Amino acid sequence: MHFSAAENPAEWTLVPKKVLIVDDSPAQVKLIQGLLEPEGYWPVGLSDPKRVEEAITVERPSLILLDVVMPGRNGFQVCRELKENVRFNAIPVILVTSKDTASDRYWGQQQGADGYVTKPFTREELLRAVRRFA
Amino acid sequence: MRSTSVLILTDDGEFARTLTACWQVERQLPGISVLTGDHWNNGAEVAPDLLVIGPLKEGALGETLRNLANSTAIILCAPAEAKELGLLRKRYPRLLHVPLREDWTQVVLLVAGESLRRTEALRLARLAEQRAAQNANQATLGRYMMEMKHNMNNAMTSLLGNAELLLLEPGELSAQSLAQIKTIHTMALRINEIMQRFSSIASEMREVETPSQAETIDDEATLFPRR
Repeated sequence: MHFSAAENPAEWTLVPKKVLIVDDSPAQVKLIQGLLEPEGYWPVGLSDPKRVEEAITVERPSLILLDVVMPGRNGFQVCRELKENVRFNAIPVILVTSKDTASDRYWGQQQGADGYVTKPFTREELLRAVRRFA
Repeated sequence: MRSTSVLILTDDGEFARTLTACWQVERQLPGISVLTGDHWNNGAEVAPDLLVIGPLKEGALGETLRNLANSTAIILCAPAEAKELGLLRKRYPRLLHVPLREDWTQVVLLVAGESLRRTEALRLARLAEQRAAQNANQATLGRYMMEMKHNMNNAMTSLLGNAELLLLEPGELSAQSLAQIKTIHTMALRINEIMQRFSSIASEMREVETPSQAETIDDEATLFPRR
């Protein structure tokens, strides 16, 4: 939770931080939503990686959870392009992926990812990564 | 060369004794058996790597070799007529005739050594082929596992995550259902550990492969130097 930026502190309200979940599997999106919601986050799901920029513009998330193996546009590509774009590069990106080798992790870092969570993850592992940024 | 076998077939005791004695001073000694023509039984019960035939009773040579496999390596030290020898050579391509001259033992040992080395090399080559086929099968399985790992991890994420969600908000679930979900969660974690171990073995193998291949290349260079 965080406070909204109203000028009068009396008008401050608790607004859940928005987390954009990009994963081509609706089941995975639903699962991550289910894990984040009880912790006070506002998860928004997106299953089409080609529409990430559009979703960011509309939703203005505080954090992006990004799958890697997706049809059409993989998570590494999405991350690289977001980090090259001044409009989006301030938003932290956590890669949430089943690609679990050291070279995958290194490649994720090279694309500018701020965090890396390997599937399958426990609830605690996911929350620990999310809390670092939101 | 202990794994190879030689059968000396002769009715001449002196021939067998001389040859065996000479062989015993050699550095590499095969397993040697001696049989007389009477006990030969048409070669039905023996399959030596090399058959050394010494002098036999007159007229017994053709009959003796009748049931022998064509691929058998034979050193014939018995006197034979040119026609008979020609026929035998046609039937047994690996037959070599060593006339009983002064240095016949040296010639037999030399030829036998080469023949047994060939047998041993063939055996090793066959073994290597079998192992290579086995390795190829295992590599296919390994590759399949590696390809499936992504799907497996995704499935495990759902399994673990949904079990955790149910444990977090049990609602009206009974104690027994909760215990069962806990078991599913624990087992999912165990499968996850197994998969991680598999991944770490796979990455370790990749790291080991490079120096191993480099060493193999070095070995090949030593064995087969380029001229």
